[in-house]
Amino acid sequence: MMASLRHSITNALRSSRQACNKPAQWQSLEQQFGALRIGSRSLSTFSNTEPNPNDDSPIVAAPPVSVDHFKLHPYARAVPVSPSYFTRTPRFYDNYLALEKLMEQYEELPVIPATAVERVAWKTLDDIRQELGEQVKASEFARCMVLVKRLNSIHPDLKPKQVKDVLDGFKRSVQPFTNTAKPIPIDQFGRACGVGRRKASSARAFVVEGTGEVLVNGKTLAEYFGRVHDRESAVWALRATNRIDKYNVWIKVEGGGTTGQAEAITLAIAKGLLAHEPALKPALRRAGCITRDPRKVERKKHGHVKARKMPTWVKR
Amino acid sequence: MSASNCLRCLVRPSAVTLAPRQILQAGAGAAGAGAAGATRTFTATASPNNQMSANRPQKLRFRKVKKKGITPQGKPPLPGERKAYRKKIVLSNNNALPVAGLETLRPNDLSKQKNVGTVMALPEDVVDALRATEAFKPTQCWGIFRQPSVLVRQETVDLIKKMDGAAADGKTLRLVVEGNRISGKSLMLLQAMTHAFMNDWVVLHIPEAQELTTACTEYSPLENSPLWSQPVYTLKLLQAFKKANEKVLSRMNTVYSHADLPQIIPINSPLIQLINSAKEADGAWAVFQALWRELNAENAGRPSILFTLDGLAHIMKMSDYRNPAFELIHSHDLALVKVFTDCLSGAHKMPNGGAVLAATTRGNSPRSASMELAIAQREAEAAKEEVIPQRDPYGKKYDDRVEAVMKSVEVLRLKGVSKAEARGLLEYWAASGALKKRVDEELVSEKWTLSGNGVVGEMERATLLTMKG
Repeated sequence: MMASLRHSITNALRSSRQACNKPAQWQSLEQQFGALRIGSRSLSTFSNTEPNPNDDSPIVAAPPVSVDHFKLHPYARAVPVSPSYFTRTPRFYDNYLALEKLMEQYEELPVIPATAVERVAWKTLDDIRQELGEQVKASEFARCMVLVKRLNSIHPDLKPKQVKDVLDGFKRSVQPFTNTAKPIPIDQFGRACGVGRRKASSARAFVVEGTGEVLVNGKTLAEYFGRVHDRESAVWALRATNRIDKYNVWIKVEGGGTTGQAEAITLAIAKGLLAHEPALKPALRRAGCITRDPRKVERKKHGHVKARKMPTWVKR
Repeated sequence: MSASNCLRCLVRPSAVTLAPRQILQAGAGAAGAGAAGATRTFTATASPNNQMSANRPQKLRFRKVKKKGITPQGKPPLPGERKAYRKKIVLSNNNALPVAGLETLRPNDLSKQKNVGTVMALPEDVVDALRATEAFKPTQCWGIFRQPSVLVRQETVDLIKKMDGAAADGKTLRLVVEGNRISGKSLMLLQAMTHAFMNDWVVLHIPEAQELTTACTEYSPLENSPLWSQPVYTLKLLQAFKKANEKVLSRMNTVYSHADLPQIIPINSPLIQLINSAKEADGAWAVFQALWRELNAENAGRPSILFTLDGLAHIMKMSDYRNPAFELIHSHDLALVKVFTDCLSGAHKMPNGGAVLAATTRGNSPRSASMELAIAQREAEAAKEEVIPQRDPYGKKYDDRVEAVMKSVEVLRLKGVSKAEARGLLEYWAASGALKKRVDEELVSEKWTLSGNGVVGEMERATLLTMKG
């Protein structure tokens, strides 16, 4: 079998040499590959210059390989494509150079004032380092961001697509500034429902214009909260804005403990109040009724008795 | 029950073991020679043992060495001193500012609509009488102010008007004062008593119903009766009654002869003398019965009676007393309680008119399902609601006797005060120097909301007792 295989390959090569000698009679590539095919039929066959429609496996030699394309100049050295190949942070510099090039190109385009520019969450230095895998210097990153922000301030109608594409690479994937809070509606009965959370508690407060009556889960404030401090924190949003006798509040609160519930109610009432009087927002923010306290119970760790506590040291 | 026969049998075991040792010590002087010889022989045999133990290696001691405790400085409080301090009632404070324009109550002031929302001072003689009846409680904040004063509420005026109306018609007002914690139930009784004292009524007040039913006072069966008397408490009640109503009682003489008392009281002798005849607990119940009969005498020019009780739930359940068969005694089988419940149910009619008031309590009060149900039913009836609350068909804690007593009482439910009343109170506090803020609309509405829509005690907590928490 091996002998027959060698025989067929030799014949095929021979026929290809013959074909080269007759360049006028080029054969199709298919035919040449057909010549290379190994099979019982090709064993006794010599090359036939004339394509035979009845014979589907003519053996034709491959064309010669030209080495002209791969030939280097005898005295040349290899030059990297990127000019920043030999720097410490080549990928970052590539980006930077691209920005500079764009800057030169579009310097003349009109810009809009900084206050009118849409807010964008740019990638941070850490994000860039993570993404490029390079130890980017903070100062260089700052210079880069100056360019980015300058390019971003080009008038949006005239901003070229090329610039937009490059800037997209510097934007964080999640853009929090595009989120807009849903306005709380005031229903037909004049109620605004605010939701507040703290620790494990969540509260819904229905704020309506009234005389200062507060009901928490169907009980009065004094019945629901034994501690005066908790009662004060529950109505703090109204108290801090001198609105305590202007509204009635009906609250549903669940989960968590006493303090958590009281402080969840603070946020809930503040949101409901904002639906009635949006201008109170700065006052409420100063009173600490806008920002949700993110602190929660720290998880327990293995090897610890609690989140941080270590077991008592025991001799042996 | 009397415990005269064998007290030694009831002495604690620890005390019994002490007894022989004391006898030995007492006998030591008599058998002095023998005892001295014994000790001498003991010391003689002990000395060689000590020498031997000195040669032995030291034994390990596993028992912990007791640390020297901190030696107490000063003398410890005497028995009962701490409780006396805790229960002390202070009614005035010289450091508080005298309030300008504070009016002292006059006999008809509590029934005037125009006084609603004002704070008025209690007259001195009434304060003494109220103190004698124990109407003031240690949990109330009288000690912050210069003079005991009360806020006239709308409910007060309504109640006093009802009382006056009932007394004028010779009827009895039977009413239960109900309300949340520290909403002023006891103070409503105090105001009713104040009005009664000022208008020369006779006032009988049971300050703590739990003292009658928690088996902390002595009891004994009454002859020919299924009831039980509480002689010591009755004597105390008689004395307090005498002290509080001295002015009215001094004008009254007996209209019946009382031959069965420890001291024979003929007709037309002073009523004070009748009360004074109860010198000891043994005859107290008989004297009380005689007094009650005298007070309810018809056509003798007797004044109206105000009978009050604080802590109603305690007498609306089984008491903690037991009969010889070791079964619990129902509270209504206690003679003194029965006098009150008969008045409250209307079984006993006061011929001279008056009022029977009972206040529920929220602190340390037992659950009495029937009482709660009865109150809810009376309230629903008064409000003319379509659905009257009924017994839970599976409930087993209902008590027919309780429901029979509360079949036709009125219910006064105390809620928070109005903002105008709250303002009057806050202004009084500010004038007394207890509240150091400007009293304006803002402060009033803030305190009103914080106190659960004007609950008086909560307002006091949120304003005056901030250091207490």
